[in-house]
Amino acid sequence: MKSLKYTMAAAILTTAGLLSSGSAHAAKICFAFQDLETEFWVAGHKAITETLKASNHEVLESNANEDANKQLEQVKDCIAQNVDGIIVIPQDGESAVTIVKESQAADIPIAVFNRPPTDTSKGIVVVADNKTIAEQAVDYVTAEALAKAPPDKKLNAIIIVGDLGDPNAVGRKDGFYASINKNKDRFNVIEVASKWDAATALANLEAAVTANPQVDLLFTSSDFLFPTIRSVFEPRGMWKKRGEEGHVLMAGLDGDKTACQLIKEGFVDATGVQDLFFEADSAMNAILAAIEAKETQPNKIMPDPGFALTQANLGTDEMRMWGCKLLAGK
Amino acid sequence: MMATQITSLNRRFTNIFLSDYFVLYMSLAYVIVLAPFLPTLLTPQNLSNVLSNTWPLLVVAIGQTFVLAVAGIDLSQGAVIGLTSILCAMLIAVTGNPNVLSNAPIWGLVINEDGGFLNGLPLAVPLAIIVTLFVAAGVGALNGIAVAVMGMPAFMTTLVMMLIVSALAIYLPLSENINQLPDSYVALGKGDIVSVYFGTKSESQISRRVIYSLFTYPMLISMTVAFSAHVLLNRTVFGRQVLAVGANRRASEISGVPVTRIIILVFVISAVCAGLASVLYSGRLEAGRPTLGAGTFLLDVIGAAVIGGTSLFGGKAKIKWTFFGVLFFVLLSNTLNLMNLTAFVVDMVKGGVILSAALLDVLRTKLLRERTT
Repeated sequence: MKSLKYTMAAAILTTAGLLSSGSAHAAKICFAFQDLETEFWVAGHKAITETLKASNHEVLESNANEDANKQLEQVKDCIAQNVDGIIVIPQDGESAVTIVKESQAADIPIAVFNRPPTDTSKGIVVVADNKTIAEQAVDYVTAEALAKAPPDKKLNAIIIVGDLGDPNAVGRKDGFYASINKNKDRFNVIEVASKWDAATALANLEAAVTANPQVDLLFTSSDFLFPTIRSVFEPRGMWKKRGEEGHVLMAGLDGDKTACQLIKEGFVDATGVQDLFFEADSAMNAILAAIEAKETQPNKIMPDPGFALTQANLGTDEMRMWGCKLLAGK
Repeated sequence: MMATQITSLNRRFTNIFLSDYFVLYMSLAYVIVLAPFLPTLLTPQNLSNVLSNTWPLLVVAIGQTFVLAVAGIDLSQGAVIGLTSILCAMLIAVTGNPNVLSNAPIWGLVINEDGGFLNGLPLAVPLAIIVTLFVAAGVGALNGIAVAVMGMPAFMTTLVMMLIVSALAIYLPLSENINQLPDSYVALGKGDIVSVYFGTKSESQISRRVIYSLFTYPMLISMTVAFSAHVLLNRTVFGRQVLAVGANRRASEISGVPVTRIIILVFVISAVCAGLASVLYSGRLEAGRPTLGAGTFLLDVIGAAVIGGTSLFGGKAKIKWTFFGVLFFVLLSNTLNLMNLTAFVVDMVKGGVILSAALLDVLRTKLLRERTT
């Protein structure tokens, strides 16, 4: 009887403890994203929503379908619902500034995930060091290209540029040029605009390759464009594995599942890796910490140093890349 | 006795259904039904959001109403918004970012590190708005001439114009946004004239999140546009001619209505409204954006006008209908957001509502015809 009493008391205390801890920490978080068009965003969305929900936080999700005005309206609707914090993947750097301003004016902490505002002094900004990561990936392919080519030959390098309204795209472009400029006189650079849109990239890359059939290396500002590159290269006999005649040295950035598969198969030589899980955790933890500390306008930058996965370190660093983890089902 | 009551009830329902205020009644009923389930719906913050989302859309929808009234359609409004947004921004930007814009054809010509061409002039903002409205009017005039003079279908003409104008909008800044706009311009999109606080007077410090916008510059601008458009469409000879052309173009021609001029003018009005709305959208987003008005934006505009009761077949349009339609449409979007539905569901529901509105329009037209015969 006595033991039953103790058991019941323990059960009540445990339940009360669980409930009280739940109510003390459960927060209402608004997660506003611009779209889920790439593996990176899909995986980021999944990591953030599932982790928050698993910790009993309420998540209000809204997809702006790449419409900056719609995203602003959605964030304002979140504010009206008295959310405790906001995590946003903005359409671009300019709209991010407006959204951060709107949120901070309502005294709600906000974290900007991966796509930073043009003014990074406001809000919690979680962002990869795009320039360094891109430079590392491009360094690998430029070194291989230069080693293979005769010393007097000028090489054609294509860069597929993202939407330059997005600071990530600017950083990646800068990283590419930082690497290329180390051997400036050896490369002709051909810029292909993508606007982060596969159809735009396809049309512009086809035009660029038609005008310059000899491509020695290619850097795509995002891994999600590799299938597009394949559809342009394959009919022209340029989609070859390493070691095969006609292989074009290729590097990307993101570190998604497709890139992992292509590096393993030998079609792609390197990719810059953003640490998606680190970024998602950083954004969530920073917002939850701000809510807990009742800090309404936290401002800080949380950099993701990232790294480049190349054919040289594939054996040792493969599982550091989020795309390879997803590919392995981990 | 019973039969008389049923007939009277039927007549009352039909009267409400055919009333100018049907969509307003529908909006009120919608709010009454949803309010218990969505506690946020009637909060001052949410009502303030609904209103702020209403104003720019109302201005575009008013322009579209004029074109629908002559049995036309203007698919180029979204592209005009993108073009005028970027034009205005490049003229008045306080600074230009060479990292982003240096490759653009406008760099060094209209904008440089020191800002836009008109930056620094005392009347830079109104001047830039006038310039962009003239450009918008030019696009509208081209649409109108193609439809009225060359006899091209409005659908095809404005579709092609949409392609040309949106490509130009993207080409000028090479698809980049232009930020760093003057405060006076930003205020046109989001500036408060009167804000309100609901609470006790004893509070020494009022939190910013409990201060709500009530009267704003975009409200003032759109209400002025709405009132002027109401007078123009429903209280002038020009307005009657617009509706007459929409109801029966051939009969209007025979009656001496200047059909060609009327059609050109309604397309000009539509484009100018789009240009004016671009000021409100760009101001609230604090940037000129070439892609503003892209995507499913036109669905919102045409949907709002049709929900209000403006007929897709022409000859039947009122500005107050459009206002109620926009209000219902914004309310619909807002409540769908508050329900936390996915974007796919939101678009499907919106599409369903617009389809229902089009069907209701057919039914109302049929009932009205039966009443008059």
